[in-house]
Amino acid sequence: MIAFGTSITRPDVFRACALPGIRRAAEPDSEVYELEAREPIARSYNALLDRAAAREDLEALVLVHQDAELVDGDVCARVRAALADPEVGIAGSVGAIGVRSIAWWEGSVTLASFINRYEDHGGGDLVSFSWDAHDRPPYTQVGEVETLDGYVLAFSPWAVRNVRFDESLGAFHGYDFDYCLQVREAGRKVVTAELRAIHHRPLEMLPDPAEWVEAHMLVAEKWDGRMPGIGWAAGTWRERALRAEAERDAARAVGHSRALELAARTAQLERALTDARTSISWRITAPLRLLARAGRRPEPRPERPSFGPELTVGRAP
Amino acid sequence: MIAFGTAMVDPEAYRRYARPGIDRAAEPGSEIIALAALASVPRSLNLLLERAAGLDDLEALVIVDQDAEIGDPRFCAAVRGALADPDVAVAGPTGARGVTTVAWWDEEVISAPVVHRYEEHGGGEVEAFAWSRAGAPPAEVDALAGFLLVLSPWAVRELRFDESLHLGVGFDVDLCGRARAAGRKVVTARMPVVLHRPLELVEEHDLWIEAHVDAGEHWAGDDADWKARARRAEAERDAARARSYSATVMLDARVLPLERELDALTSTLSWRLTAPLRKLNARRRGG
Repeated sequence: MIAFGTSITRPDVFRACALPGIRRAAEPDSEVYELEAREPIARSYNALLDRAAAREDLEALVLVHQDAELVDGDVCARVRAALADPEVGIAGSVGAIGVRSIAWWEGSVTLASFINRYEDHGGGDLVSFSWDAHDRPPYTQVGEVETLDGYVLAFSPWAVRNVRFDESLGAFHGYDFDYCLQVREAGRKVVTAELRAIHHRPLEMLPDPAEWVEAHMLVAEKWDGRMPGIGWAAGTWRERALRAEAERDAARAVGHSRALELAARTAQLERALTDARTSISWRITAPLRLLARAGRRPEPRPERPSFGPELTVGRAP
Repeated sequence: MIAFGTAMVDPEAYRRYARPGIDRAAEPGSEIIALAALASVPRSLNLLLERAAGLDDLEALVIVDQDAEIGDPRFCAAVRGALADPDVAVAGPTGARGVTTVAWWDEEVISAPVVHRYEEHGGGEVEAFAWSRAGAPPAEVDALAGFLLVLSPWAVRELRFDESLHLGVGFDVDLCGRARAAGRKVVTARMPVVLHRPLELVEEHDLWIEAHVDAGEHWAGDDADWKARARRAEAERDAARARSYSATVMLDARVLPLERELDALTSTLSWRLTAPLRKLNARRRGG
C-alpha cells in the first residue's frame, strides 16, 4: 500500500492544490493522511512518518506539500519503480549533485520535473528544464543524487521506520537536505524519479531570508566533517568570510539592479501603451477594430516564449 | 572659498553632468579643478586634495563625480551649514550607518533627495538607493557615498585616500573611517543631486568582488570570529543569490505581459494603416 500525506497550514490551499493531485495518484487502497501542521515542518513530517510506520503493508509514503499538485495518474507505479532497488531510501522529482549547503540549486541540478505556477503579475507558469521529456538539456539524469527538494518526496518503508527529520533546524528550511544526508549517512541511496508536479507558489524563492540563513548555518555546522563537501569551501575561515561577504554584496547589487530594471522597463512599456491608446490614429480607427473583432475566429493560445536557458514563461490556463 | 574638483575618465560626462551642476552651485570666487583621472581612483582624488591644499582661503573642497550633477543653487550655503561644526571632517548628500563593507548601500542609508537618472529603456528616473533609505539629513553616519564628498580644510590637509586600494572600490568608506578614527565627524547634509548612471549598480562583477575582498583585507582586524563570520556570510550570499534570481524571474513575469499587449496593439491592421499619420505628427511635434 502506498500512502500519501500532507502537513496542512492552509486547508484551502490543500484542497485546491495537493488534494486533486493525490486523488489523481492514489490507488483504491491508498491511505491519505491530512495532518494539521505543527511547527516546525520536521515535527509534522515525523508525525506523518510515525503514522505510516504503523502499517505493515506499507510500500511507500509520498509526502506532498499542500501547494504541490501531482499531475500523473501513474505516480504509484513510478514510486514502485524508483524504490525497487532496496538500497534506495528516498526519491523525489527535483535533485542535485555537488551540493554543499541547503541551497541545493547552487549545485548541479540533474532533474527538475515541475512547473512553478504563480499568481503574481496576472499569473503564469515557470516550466523547469526537464519538464518536457522530449526537450531536455543533456545534463538531465534520473538516478542517484545527493539531495532532493522537499515539495514531493517518496519514502521507502526502511526510511519511514528508521530515519526522522531533525526538529532542531528551524521552522521550514533545510529539513529535506538534512534528511537526505541522514539517509546517505546510513548507507542508503537518494534518487530522483519522474514524479511530476505543479508547485503553486509565488515567484519569490525566499520570502523569509533571515530564517533561511539561520537554517543554512545550522545545517552547515551539523554536517561539516560528517559528509564530504558539506559546509566546506576553499581557504581559511578569514578568506572564506571575506570572499563570501563580497559575493553576497555582489548578488544583492544584482537584485537591486534587477528591481531598477523592472521599474524602468515597466514604465517604458506603460508609456508606450498609453501613447498608443491615446493617439488620434488609434481613436479614429476604433470602428475598424470593432469590425475586425466581430468577424474574427478565436485565436489559438500563444506559445510559451523562452526567457532563459532553463525556464519559460506563459499564462496560466 | 569653496572649491570644486573632478577627476574624470570621460570628459563628455563631465561636460554634460558634473560641470552644469558645479556652475549652478559655484560662487564667483570658487576655484574649479578639473583633472584627467590617474591610474586609480584614490590616486586621482589625492591629486585633487593636493591641489586644493595649496589654496589659501579654502573653506571646503567639493569632490564631484563626473556623472553627479548638483541640483541646488544654494549648495554652498548647505556646505557651510554642514561644516559649521568644527568637528565635521567630511559631508555629503548620501551616507549610511552600520557600514562594515564597501557596499554601504545595503545598510541604513540616510540621504538627501538624490535622483538616479538612467538612459536605458527610453530613459527615466528613480529615487536613488530607495531600497534601504532610512532617513533624511542632517545626520552623523559611518560612511558617505563617494559621488559627492565635501571635505573640510582639516580633511584636505590631513586625510588622504588609501592608494593601496588598487581597484578603487571602497575609497569613500575608507576615507570616512580615517576621519572617524581621528575623532572627527562624518555627516550627511541636504544637498540634492542627480546621478546620471546606468541601471546596473555593479558592472564588472568579478573585478568588484576582488576589490571588495581587497578592501575587506585592509579593514579586517585580527580579533574577529572568522568562522562565525564565514558561516553567516556564506549563508547570506546564497540567500542573496536566490533573491536576485527571483528578482530576475519577476522582472520577466511582469514585463512579458506588457510586451505582449503592446505587440498585439501595434500589429493591428488599423495601427499599420495609420503609421504615416503618426510619422507626420511626430515630425510636426519635433518642429
